Parts: sequence; C-alpha cells; structure tokens
Amino acid sequence: MKRRGRGIACMWYPIGFTVAANPSAAVVKVNEDGTATLLTGTVETGQGSLTVLAQIVAEELGIATDSVHVVSADTDTTPLDTGAIASRTTYVTGNAARLAAAKAKEILFEVAAPLLGVKPHQLEARDYKIQVRGFPQRNIHIGDVADRARGVNGQPALGSASFNPATVALDPETGQGVPFATYVYATQIAEVDVDDETGEVEVLRIVASHDCGTPINPMLVEGQVEGGISMGVGFALQEEMLFDSQGRLINPNLTNYIMPTSLDMPKVEVDIVDSYDPTGPFGAKGVGEPTCVATAAAIMNAIHDAVGVRITSLPATAEKVHAALKAKRAQETRQLTA
Amino acid sequence: MTKVTLTVNGEARSASVPPEMTLLRLLREEFNLTGSKLGCDVGDCGACTVLVDGKAVNSCLMLAGQADGRDVVTIEGLATMERLHPIQKAFEEKGSLQCGFCGPGVIMSAKALLDENPDPSEEEIRDALAGNLCRCTGYTKMIEAIQAAARVEDARPTAKSA
Amino acid sequence: MDKKSAVVETGTATERARSVEEMLRAPAAAPLAPLPLEVLVPEAKQQTPAVRQRVTRPDGRLHGLGQTKYIDDFYMPGMLYAKVKRAGIASARIISIDTKEAEAMPGVVAVITGRDVPCNSFGPSLKDQPVLADTRVFYSGDGVAAVAAVTEQIATEALEKIKVEYEPLTPVLDPLLSLQLETPGVHAPNPNVYWHKVIKKGDVERGFAESYRVFEGTFRTQMVEHVPLEPHSSLATWDANGRVTIYSTLGRITLGRADLSRTLGIPMSRIRIIATVVGGNFGGKNEITTEPIVALLAKKTGRPVKCTFTRPEEFTSSTTRHPLIMEYKTGVSKQGKLLARQIRLVLDGGAYCSWSETTLGKACILSAGPYEIENLHAEAFVVYTNKTMTGAMRGFGAPQVCFAYESHMDDIAKALGIDPLEIRLMNTLKEGSLSPTSQVLHSVVVADTLKQAAERFGWNGNGSKS
Repeated sequence: MKRRGRGIACMWYPIGFTVAANPSAAVVKVNEDGTATLLTGTVETGQGSLTVLAQIVAEELGIATDSVHVVSADTDTTPLDTGAIASRTTYVTGNAARLAAAKAKEILFEVAAPLLGVKPHQLEARDYKIQVRGFPQRNIHIGDVADRARGVNGQPALGSASFNPATVALDPETGQGVPFATYVYATQIAEVDVDDETGEVEVLRIVASHDCGTPINPMLVEGQVEGGISMGVGFALQEEMLFDSQGRLINPNLTNYIMPTSLDMPKVEVDIVDSYDPTGPFGAKGVGEPTCVATAAAIMNAIHDAVGVRITSLPATAEKVHAALKAKRAQETRQLTA
Repeated sequence: MTKVTLTVNGEARSASVPPEMTLLRLLREEFNLTGSKLGCDVGDCGACTVLVDGKAVNSCLMLAGQADGRDVVTIEGLATMERLHPIQKAFEEKGSLQCGFCGPGVIMSAKALLDENPDPSEEEIRDALAGNLCRCTGYTKMIEAIQAAARVEDARPTAKSA
Repeated sequence: MDKKSAVVETGTATERARSVEEMLRAPAAAPLAPLPLEVLVPEAKQQTPAVRQRVTRPDGRLHGLGQTKYIDDFYMPGMLYAKVKRAGIASARIISIDTKEAEAMPGVVAVITGRDVPCNSFGPSLKDQPVLADTRVFYSGDGVAAVAAVTEQIATEALEKIKVEYEPLTPVLDPLLSLQLETPGVHAPNPNVYWHKVIKKGDVERGFAESYRVFEGTFRTQMVEHVPLEPHSSLATWDANGRVTIYSTLGRITLGRADLSRTLGIPMSRIRIIATVVGGNFGGKNEITTEPIVALLAKKTGRPVKCTFTRPEEFTSSTTRHPLIMEYKTGVSKQGKLLARQIRLVLDGGAYCSWSETTLGKACILSAGPYEIENLHAEAFVVYTNKTMTGAMRGFGAPQVCFAYESHMDDIAKALGIDPLEIRLMNTLKEGSLSPTSQVLHSVVVADTLKQAAERFGWNGNGSKS
C-alpha cells in the first residue's frame, strides 16, 4: 500500500574558497560603436556563466546583453581565473567583470564630460547613452563617445580589474575566523509515496526556495535548481559506487550505476527568494552547488513522515527501506507481546 | 573492409569501413558529423541517438554495415538555411540545454516522438526521453520545450517532418 | 543550361547552396552546416537593463544545432589516439613494466610510463598523486602506462600487451579501520589521517548539562560519481619552438597550466591551455588527468595526441564524492531551542588527497546547519583508503552533512512533538547572527526560504497527510 509523506530541509552554503585567495581577473573593451568585449579566464561548464557575465557587463555599461561578446578559457589571451568551482563565478568573476567595465566606463565619462558641460561623476550610462544624471536629454550615444575616446583623446575605453573575496584565516585551535565572504540559503520540501510492501520510494513533488542574491538570469537559476535536484534525487535513492573485497569497482558503467532518468524526476517548483548582497555584483551571490544540498534530506524526512522509518545511510534503496519497515514491524510486535 | 551506402540527412553517402565500426563512428569519423556524441559507447546514455528509417536508435549499438541502404537523420539534418527546427527553437527559448552534450540525442528522441505522436502527454514525453541521460538539467525545461514545439507543429498547415 | 545550374538560379537558399556544393565538393568533404538565416535576437537579449532578464544563451543555439565542438570532436591531421592502462589492483608495489610487445604492435607509435614524466607528482593541496604510477599503485584505477596509436582501437588493444608485474599488498578499504591503523599506513610513512580540523565555540559540556534532553544520531553516505555526459578529454600539440598547446575539458585552466608546468618541467610561458564548452563538470574536471600524458606522447611522437576517457574510466579513474560517517549529539531546551551540538565527521579520503582539504573544511564549518547554536564542537578527519580518489563534487561535503543535520532535526522535532517547520524557524540564523566560526553573517534569508517554500507547498498544520 502506498503511503504519502512530506519532508522539509533547509541549508546554508558558502561562496568561494575556504579562506584561501581565489581571485578572478577580467578585461572589458568598449568597441568604437559602443558594443563591448569581455575577456575572462573562466570556463563555461554548462551552467551559463558566460551569459551571466555578459549581462553584468551590459548592465554596468548601460547596453543590452546582445552587444557584449565574451571570450573565455585560453591561458594565452584571457586573464587569470581561479576557475568554475565552489559556486564562485557569478560572485568573484562577476565582480571582476563589473569592476573592469566600470573602469572602461570611467574613460568614457572623462571623454564625454567636457562635451556635456559637466564633471565625470555627474554622468551615468543607460540605454546606449552617456547621459547626465537627472537630465537624460543631455546625452551622447555611447558609440560616439567610444569612437571619440579612441580617435580624438587617443585613449581607448579599456578596463581591467581583479577581485578576491575578503576572508580572515581560521584559528588553528578553535577554527574561528571569516572563511567566506558570503553564504546562500535554501529550503526544499519533498512529497513522496512509499510502498510499504516493497519499500519503493517515488518522489512526486519538490518545492524549492533558493537564495542567490539578485538573480542575474532567473531562467538559468531555475535550470541550476532543477539540475541540482536531479542530482539530489539520485544521491538520495539510487546512486552508489560498489567495491568488491579487493577494492575494485563492481559497477563502472551506466547500466549498473543507477542515476535519474526523465521518469525519475518529480514535479519541481522553483521560487527565488528576495535577497540582495551588497558585496556581490548588483547584489548577486551564486547558485551552482547549493541546489543539490537539501534534496536528500528532504526526501529522507518525507520517508520518515510517510512510514515512520528513519533511514540513516544513503542511498535509501527499496531494499533498505523494506528492511527498515520489516524491523519496525518486528519491534512493534515485540512491544505488543511484551 | 565493408562498403556501405546510406542516405544521411537526405543525401547519399558512402564509405569503406572496418566491419566492426559502429554507425556512430561512421557518422563522426568518416562523415565528420560530430553532432551525435559518444557518451558511453554501449547504449546506456542515448547521447548518440539518431533516426534510422524514422525510428530513434542508439547509433553506438548499430554497426555501420547494418545501416547500409537505410535512411539516417542526424541533428545536423533538422535545421535548414532558412530556419531552425521548431524543437531546436523551443529548446533555445526555454533554456532547455546547459552543457549541451546530451542535447542532440534528446532532440532526436523528441523528433521521433512528435513525428509519430504530434500531441503527446507529459507522461509520453518522459517515456520518450527515458533512454537519454542528462546530468545538468533535470529534464524539466526539456519537457516544457517539447510541449511548446508540439503546439507550434500542430499550428502549421503542412505537416512536414523536417 | 543543365539541371544543377537551373537549381542555382531558381531554388531556395538551401537548394542553391547544396547545388553549388555538389558541383564543387570533393568526396571526403564535410557536408554543409546549416546557418539558419532567421537570426533571432530574442527580445530579452536586447533589453536594457540587463540584470534579471531571462536572456537565452548564445551557446544554447549551437548546442541545439549540434555545432558545439567539444574536445573529442576535434581532429587534427596526423593525430594519434592515446589510451591509459589501469592497474586493476587496489594496492601493490610495481616490480616491472614491460612495454616491448606493445611498442612493436603495428599502428602503435609510442608508449610511456611513470619514468618518462619529468616531475611525477601533483595535487591541488598535497602533491601526492602521480601522473602515472611508477613504484606503487594506490587504487585500482591508477594509471601505469599510456599508448599512442593511429586508431583508438589499436591503442586499446595495445594496453593488453603491456605486461606489469605487481607485488600485491593488502588494501585498506574501511575508513574507520584506516582511522585506527597506526602502521602500516596506506601512504606509509605518512599517517592515514592526512588532514584534521576542529571548530570550538562556547562550552558544549555545559550546554549539554543545561539541556532538557540530549539526542544522538549517526549517519553515513555513499561514494557517488559526477557522471558528466562528456568524458574527460585532452588533446596536445607542440610547435617547433617547444611550445605546447593543450585543449582540455579542465574547468580551471590556470591551475592546469601550473600543474603542467610542474609535471613537464617547462616554464608557463611555453604552455597554452584552451578549454571550450565543457560537457558537464560538477567538480570532477577540476584537476589534470590525461593532460601531461598527451603532452608527453605528443612530444615523443612529434604528432598531435588526443586522449578521451572511456565511460568505465570515468568511474574507475576520476574523482568521486567523499563518503562520510557523521556522529551528531545535540542538546535542546524543552521548547526546542538548540543549546549545544557536538559533531564528529570521518571522511573517506580515497587514494590521494585531491580536493579533500577543501571538502573537510567546508563539511566541518557547515556541519552545524543554518542554526544559531551557542555551544559547538565540530571535529573532522579525512583518511586514506585504497579506493578511488575522492575530490571535489558539487557541494564539497554539504549534501552529506545536510542529510545528517536535517534528519537529526526531524528526529528531535518528533520526539518533542514540535512541527518540523516550527522547530526550524525557532532556531535559524538571522541577519547579524554569528556563524560557527563567529563570523557576523549578512544577507541571511534562511527563514524567508522556509516560509516561502512552506507556503507554496501548502504546509499547514502538523504533518497531516494529503
């Protein structure tokens, strides 16, 4: 018989390396027509980081994302980046990209200011224009400014910057210190059906509320949450590398290493919670890893709610749940007859 | 060496290959059609999915010789110079692909489904994708995209399959 | 006018292009790659401001067309294919490696072993991992030799012809056993516990003494693998000035270049690493695997060399997630407030250190959960075993400890008769709270996520089943 249960799990997760320096550098070049190029040493590993970085640079320069071209992942031509790891790209590389764009923008402001009859700090970049803050009708197209920077002032609009999160080393005896510059938080709630005869668990629905600071691209954040949950479902119920008594892997293949298919994924509902981190680019933090952290816990708590057994080791295969159910029934029988 | 002649994306192609060569390697190494991917080479992951005579198959499980005389469609055969295939367009708009490696295989499985069943339920879509493993996306936005593409295909007056 | 010219004059863009191509094409040339002329620039990409827009990814279009080039899609003229021979034995001394028969095979161009590597050790923190094992094997997936041949098939067959003589040693597989062993250690004379961390805050013993009840629980997690759909791959080519270019699936090319400089013994200015889009990383492609091997084989043969992992190698010979054994002891007030928590973590650290130091640190810091706890003692150990090296995997210990602390929390809630949502809201970190390391936290929204998720889920009342 199928029994329904629900479980809740919340979590926290840091952005960047533990204490150790993990800088990123970036270069932004504003072309003579106001479009731009970003050079970054980061590597696109599928999460969409290059798109997010383009959005950050576009925002800083007041142009559209389509006008920013990103060049990445070449040690000869792109500046140093500690890498796509520890959910650091949006925060660390994003900050570096924004700072680099700001420096290029400074050059544009210095060129435009005398033409508009103001000081550089009175200017802003918006909608492809360099304009006077509060008086947008006084503006020059960003392309014209960039071309003038090159052709009249002789100073191309180019900016380079690096960023490293602020940390404090941990005391070796007590571990006290500031290991990370910022953290993200999340809650996932799972609804499951447990077959109390076979021990099979079906995950029906997962509701996820995730913090990523400002979501630079909400569509990509949802993609990370959905993907992270699929890894969490596999971790909770299916995946395990099995070794024989001599230390050799028994299941080094996808036939016998079970991971979620389209049939195993529950209905996923994603909410991005309202949040802003002043130390991140436009308030953003990061999201790559946190998405798979709470899933297994939520599912285990849901199993506990459904059939009253506490699974204390992963994965919660049908055999394990079945054995736990059997043990629970045996114990209840003993208690009754005692 | 075996000589094979087959239709690939509407064109007759031939090659002379070792008898143990798979259709996947024939496509990737002889014909330079690298869109179909090698993820496991034993039919577990679906990254090599192509259409053979209209059916979705794991091309790593088919010998090149077995494809002799057959009609093969790969990911490279969906778009034209004029436009993206509706499935490709929907995948792009919904953000269905992340690293993209499983993408061609998933799209071919989706095409095989929509060619046969133009108005599939969510269950039927999940079933059609069951042989395509994806580690990045959790499949959610792929299913949304296939549903969107099905609606577009339905709306078009001439039901062309490519 | 012949039929083909007629098409060129009158057909659609596709028909015209195909017609011209047929007239010009050499038999082996690649077919036309469609470039859809409808250049879509979706509205979101054109909007300013750019932040918070659902911008579509430019690489997304290429993925859907099958036009993204991953490393294994690259081909260079004269390119050779490399494969690595795996030990197949979890712990052993290598007595001898005989490569003569493999070298003599038709189609095999070069074979290398650990002895050919100028500096045969690397690692993100401890440099305890060899490029190719030369005196000792520490896990069954250790590489002992590599072959470059004209086809992948020949390279794979040549591996069988390499004869390795081993003196088997007893493997240590249980991390708790490894924790107790003094000698002989897995990496003797180094101890089995290769990293250790402690976090101490307040006074746990006093906290337990003041508690209404003390709860205990032990939790374990398994070893899992990243399973990126794209296997690890790298391609090396040298130029006549002694400069090597390596195309690789590495997720961090700066470290990669430093590791290559070290293992190959050449300056960084002579190394270029290029990554394209990686087909899934999740932490498993954050250190070098075959990069030095293809570089050395390319140097020895004077030809480009590519090496792609087989799917079995992804499991046997790439990093995995640390299995954890987690012991929790928590003291609570009658109302359900967490007063004291004591945690002990043992991480199965596999055959080599890899990213264990980072994983240990994060697991230890995160192990208390997103809760305000005044009295805390968390201690973590990572030990060597003769199993696949455990490294960076999405979360670095967080999924494991979250499973433990959230299961533990629900056990406490049930025993005290408190709703699981309520007990969490009572204890979560808030804006300005102190973390386990006494860091003042900002932008803390864990309570907001609990409320938002609970509302959308429809979590009302006390665990009622719908």
